[in-house]
Amino acid sequence: MGKQPEFSRMKFYCDENLCIDCNGCVVACKEAHEVPVGVNRRKVITVNEGVVGKEISVSMACMHCSDAPCQQVCPTDCFYIRTDGIVLHDKDVCIGCGYCLFACPFGAPQFPKDGAFGTKGKMDKCTMCAGGPEETNSSEEFHKYGQNRISEGKVPMCASMCSTKALLVGDADEVALIKTYRATHKGKGIATESYGW
Amino acid sequence: MDNSSFYERNKAYILTFLGLSLVGFVFIEFLMVIDWNYFIKYKLAILFTGNLDGVLTPPSSTYEAMVNKAFGPGYEAFAPEIIRASNERQLFIWWVFVAEIAIFCFMYVKYGRKEAVITKPDDEVQVFSLFQRFVMIANILIVITLIITGFNITWGLRSGGGDIAFFLRGLHEVTGIAWFPIWLLMSIIAFKDAKLLFRNSLTNKIILPGKYKPMKRIIYFFFVMMGGGLLVSGFLIWFLHPDAFTHGEFIQFKRLLLYIHFGSSVMIMFFMMDFVYSVGVAIKGNLKGIITGKYPREHLEQLAPDVLADIEGKGK
Repeated sequence: MGKQPEFSRMKFYCDENLCIDCNGCVVACKEAHEVPVGVNRRKVITVNEGVVGKEISVSMACMHCSDAPCQQVCPTDCFYIRTDGIVLHDKDVCIGCGYCLFACPFGAPQFPKDGAFGTKGKMDKCTMCAGGPEETNSSEEFHKYGQNRISEGKVPMCASMCSTKALLVGDADEVALIKTYRATHKGKGIATESYGW
Repeated sequence: MDNSSFYERNKAYILTFLGLSLVGFVFIEFLMVIDWNYFIKYKLAILFTGNLDGVLTPPSSTYEAMVNKAFGPGYEAFAPEIIRASNERQLFIWWVFVAEIAIFCFMYVKYGRKEAVITKPDDEVQVFSLFQRFVMIANILIVITLIITGFNITWGLRSGGGDIAFFLRGLHEVTGIAWFPIWLLMSIIAFKDAKLLFRNSLTNKIILPGKYKPMKRIIYFFFVMMGGGLLVSGFLIWFLHPDAFTHGEFIQFKRLLLYIHFGSSVMIMFFMMDFVYSVGVAIKGNLKGIITGKYPREHLEQLAPDVLADIEGKGK
């Protein structure tokens, strides 16, 4: 049996021990993609707030699931998964029903209030800075989905702006290697790759 | 005095209860993948504590606390059923209505259509006031709009999405809000049993004439209850608009509301179809009266003597 072709599986990972709840990733994402008011593709949540030694923060967005519930639940099949594992959607097909919101375990889908009669509009979510189905780096793509940094060989905006490098993005194996490296080198200074590309 | 048996007098209630129990049992036992234990406890928690976030027990670990705060708890309780319902059920929903229509076709073939023998068409009786007609016609138009637009998910599934299904979805939400006052007025004017409790000039003016037979009383009951369930759940689904940061607090409640909305819509649709059949199809000449407000006296004498007696009773 021949060797199977290897594809990358792009994933986010946020190290809760490094995240300092600065929300730089949230702001960077909103700024880069001109995300409308009321919509946050990324969020930072903090638990045990104020409890010394137990407070942790973690930055979250779409987890780009391999077996994405949003894709399963969407009645119009507006989602598609690229060969590198990034989950994207087509806003021209989306009807804003919100089923993806009900099905997503992570609360990633967001809905602006710009739909018919002021109701919720077409779904918006993290694209891992990979744009959408429109022509790559076209103004239409930017208008609907934001920047396509992946096509330019750049790291997604949130991870690139993370000051403590808590937020990692890249091929799942690479991210796992960095996490392993950090764990084994804990207390020996910062000597990690920044992004996991 | 009616000397029929208990069963004969209460046949409609008994059969409705048994039918719904059977359908409910089949759905709960075989067709749904909901965590019913959590479902019941969550509802009780909402009622007794007002807590909507779905966290029934304090988190036992930091990880669980993080999940509760970021995503909301108990994903496995409702969400898998939503994933199934959104696709599999959408493909089969047409057959539910085909089955319902088939039942009414069978009844039509078996029992035929009643029609009054009218010899004096000019001898008409004013049955519905302008206000009552306005409420009834508005209710009919809004409900038809809600049914058509409520299938936006199914349209989307069939058409592959796009702007028309998107527009229908928005229209459904707005029409639902417009239905609230009309549903309330309709529930009031159709509360014929109120006349058994109190009778005064106001009830004479507002409430529709006549008495309910058991099946019509059941239809009225489900119109009020399921309509209320649809309106409250629909309004809250529309109104609760959690952002990324408040998602965990509301998402479980929104999932629960979605079930209440679906369940209520299925129930109200069946009884509405029953009503449309029994009023619009099984008896000829009823629809015109809803628009004009008048019916030939002979029509009422032969097909709705309770309505005529009620109107003549008011005149005395």
